[in-house]
Amino acid sequence: MARDNSEQRAARPVSHRRRFLIGLAVAALLAVGLGAVLLAGAQTAERRERAERRALVTLSTLAAVVDRASGGSVQEAAPAGTPAETPAETPAEGGMGLGAEIAAAEQGQAPAPTDAEAGAIRKAVEGFAAAHPEVAAIRVVEFEGIRLAASTSAADQGAKAAPRRLERDEKPLYDLGQRLRAAVESNRQGAEGAARAPELGFERHPNGVLALAAPVERGGEVIGMVQMETRAIPEPPSFAWLPFAAFWLAPVIALLLLSFVLGERRWPLATAAALFLILALFFYGRYATDVLKAERRASGQAVAAQIGDESKKAEALLAQLALSSNRPAGQPLASTLWDVDLYRQSRGLIGASGALDEGKLGELAGVDAGRMTRSVGLLALLSLVLLAFVGLGWAARTGAALVEYRAAYAYTLPALIGMLFLVFFPFFYGIALSFTNANIYNTDKTIFETWVGLQNFQEIVSDFHIVQHTPNGLAWNYQNFYYTLLFTIVWTVANVAIGVTLGLALALTLNLKDFALRPLYRVLLILPWAMPNYITALIFKGMFHRQFGVINQILQTVGLPAVAWFDHPFSSFLAVLTTNAWLSFPFMMVIALGALQSIPADLYEAARVDGASRWQQFRSITLPSLKPALVPAIILSVIWTFNQFNVIYLVSAGDPGHSTEILITQSYKLAFEQYRYGYAAAYSAIIFLILFAYGTWQNRVTGATEAIG
Amino acid sequence: MRSRRNDEPVHWPLHIFVLFMVLITVYPILWVLTIAFSGGQSLVIADVPTDATAVDRLRAVIPWPTHLSIDNFRSLFADQPFGRWLLNSVLVAGLTTILGVFLACTAAYAFSRFRFPGRRAGLMAFLVSQMFPGTLMLIPLYIIIVQWLGLGSSYIGLVLIYTVTAIPFCVWMMKGYFDTIPKELEESALIDGASQATIFFRIVLPLAKPAVAVTALFSFMTGWNEFIQAATFMNREDMYTGPVGLRFFVGGFSQQWGYFAAGSIIAAIPVMALFLFLQKYLVSGLTAGAVKG
Repeated sequence: MARDNSEQRAARPVSHRRRFLIGLAVAALLAVGLGAVLLAGAQTAERRERAERRALVTLSTLAAVVDRASGGSVQEAAPAGTPAETPAETPAEGGMGLGAEIAAAEQGQAPAPTDAEAGAIRKAVEGFAAAHPEVAAIRVVEFEGIRLAASTSAADQGAKAAPRRLERDEKPLYDLGQRLRAAVESNRQGAEGAARAPELGFERHPNGVLALAAPVERGGEVIGMVQMETRAIPEPPSFAWLPFAAFWLAPVIALLLLSFVLGERRWPLATAAALFLILALFFYGRYATDVLKAERRASGQAVAAQIGDESKKAEALLAQLALSSNRPAGQPLASTLWDVDLYRQSRGLIGASGALDEGKLGELAGVDAGRMTRSVGLLALLSLVLLAFVGLGWAARTGAALVEYRAAYAYTLPALIGMLFLVFFPFFYGIALSFTNANIYNTDKTIFETWVGLQNFQEIVSDFHIVQHTPNGLAWNYQNFYYTLLFTIVWTVANVAIGVTLGLALALTLNLKDFALRPLYRVLLILPWAMPNYITALIFKGMFHRQFGVINQILQTVGLPAVAWFDHPFSSFLAVLTTNAWLSFPFMMVIALGALQSIPADLYEAARVDGASRWQQFRSITLPSLKPALVPAIILSVIWTFNQFNVIYLVSAGDPGHSTEILITQSYKLAFEQYRYGYAAAYSAIIFLILFAYGTWQNRVTGATEAIG
Repeated sequence: MRSRRNDEPVHWPLHIFVLFMVLITVYPILWVLTIAFSGGQSLVIADVPTDATAVDRLRAVIPWPTHLSIDNFRSLFADQPFGRWLLNSVLVAGLTTILGVFLACTAAYAFSRFRFPGRRAGLMAFLVSQMFPGTLMLIPLYIIIVQWLGLGSSYIGLVLIYTVTAIPFCVWMMKGYFDTIPKELEESALIDGASQATIFFRIVLPLAKPAVAVTALFSFMTGWNEFIQAATFMNREDMYTGPVGLRFFVGGFSQQWGYFAAGSIIAAIPVMALFLFLQKYLVSGLTAGAVKG
């Protein structure tokens, strides 16, 4: 029946059925496809992390074995506590001292390492490597004497076999060790909650090769480092094609079947399509959450198994090396502490008994599920829009317009794409950032995780502490938004007033007939405009220098005292004002001169004939003729001055104490000196609102954009 | 007939005024030339002894070096990486010019010649984008260019940013010029069987040469003179552009004023020459819309 219907309407070949089917197919492809890509990414990340955790377990075992091996033999050679073995003699400058140390070692000043210790470590490392085919190379570095104590690397055979001194080109290895040592020491001294430095070296190479490094400690001191490189593990691509195809095609087939019943009725079709899409996404979300949960569990189990395995291997190795009797205080191997992060803190996913911690696992799964819900929700929204776009025929209309005006769109497309991605997208992203508390410490989080709503705006706008009480009485609070706004307005008005006055005066003068040397004056006076303004700013910064600046020397020449320009808000303001006035008056002058020269001479002639005075001529002819050119120039110059970043940033830099900061430099400093991205974005958004309001008002008053035609 | 003297004001006080302004205008430029040719890194033109006489003091403010030397220019290239920075600037500004002019010409031609859905919105969008404050764009651009695309300290990142910065002005400017080229030329070419692309490249662009020159100048100056974005995106010292490098000489605790002055002259001369040569067009572009209305 439905078919009959559509055939009858062949004259108007709009098939809602076809549109919704295509729309649903495209929308579901987008949503499920993106979802599948995200899921595959999460799976790959989890598998990667699993490999890392397993490698870290192996590394921890290795470090423990080397600890035992070195600790045991050194105690035989030199009893603990003698000053000779304090490793604090290694210079504190980190890696910089290697050259000097090598030189010292070459002169024979370094303590000779004992053969027994070196032998024990080498044997332990060789035994360990033999038991671990997945480990490609192990190197042990000792800081004392800068020695490579043991190595199974293919590069260290023959003449380069361990033990030997490190060579100069192996400095990065030594530096890495020193970095780990510094990290361990600072973390140990560091206050609770202070930023910690990673205590394990970790690098990922292509093909899943991991290069790991751990410090080797003895008696609480880091005396060396063990570095381990795993073999390449191929990472299988984990994109699940079958579920993807199923979740994509299921709603489309369902709609196709249903459409035989619904026919060409538009709204039932729309409802059904939307419903199927949402259902498909809902089930896809559940499926993805389950997959991730299983992946997490598999990781935990694999790591737990690895720990058991490694601890057995290590016991066997230590027994074989007959080192077990020399364990310091007879500690057992702390195998439960092997599932660690790069800060050598336990991840807490595996309990003391070696079993999985279900509570922790559930927590992780909950976080995953929450993230998944948000992503799927967003995808649903996107795909519904797409469905409506295609299904309701907007796509067809857009397509028709694109075809009809294809030449015009082709010409504008490159510029528009650039503007879209590098102007409009960043703009909206910046607006979105202004609702978050994004800062340098949480850049890895999404916008949704750092969302704080209007808090930034409220903080900025509702803080009215423009003045503050100090021991010396009331004082401006230079960090306050309203102070900076007030300063910016004063700055803008003062600059534009000076610019217009000077520019107009010079233009009127240079416009006089028979004014001698007119072209020369014009070229000289235009120079500041031609000069790049950052250079101008830096020149004036030099000229306003308190001690050596030429402006103070001019003042002293005429008998005035030198001024510390950037030590007082007002003198600092004068300095930046002078700079900006210098570079901005030529613009006004040139605009005004151009407009003056375009006034027909007959007008003045006629006015003179009518007996008008010079002032009357100026009022009735000159000013009205100047207005169409001057008004847009003033608008432009207000916006330029309002945003005159370079002069403030380079000349006064806001000194003293942010008192000469304008809004735009203040927001730059919030972002790139205090790293409060969210707060700075809100600050910038307010600047934009102010400018936008100004622009709208100006536009209404002057109709400056009427030329859009 | 009235005499000229009553009609025109007396010229000599005005000459004093203009000369005074010229002095103020020229003094900083002479100052920077003096420091550049002094051969040293000091900010002072001449040392002032503790018991300075008026003559000593006067000597210290007259912009002429105590002895002429081109050491600063020589070691700018021999000892300092300024040549490399200048090359970076040339590359960035040059690529910006090529890309900016191409994109602006094509887009402006469409906006001038075709009537299509979205034309007004597009033109308005270019205008509105000029109002976005730089720092609001800087944070997201930093995240996009550096963190997402990994284009920090690269030419491509900076060129893309400069190009989109320059495009809106260039599009409006070119559109204004294209509007003045009579449509009949193209119509007759169309009748003669020329394709759309031929008309654009062979007829319209050659006619718009002056506007293209101004657009190119503007794009070049955008890339050549820009400081803050270059300072934010170019973190590696060998990727500094000229402006960032010049600021490096005198920023923070560094006080190498001689290098700064010499470098400033090298960086400023090409743009100043270009600017003086082409400023007539720039001004007419800025005021075209206003004067017409």
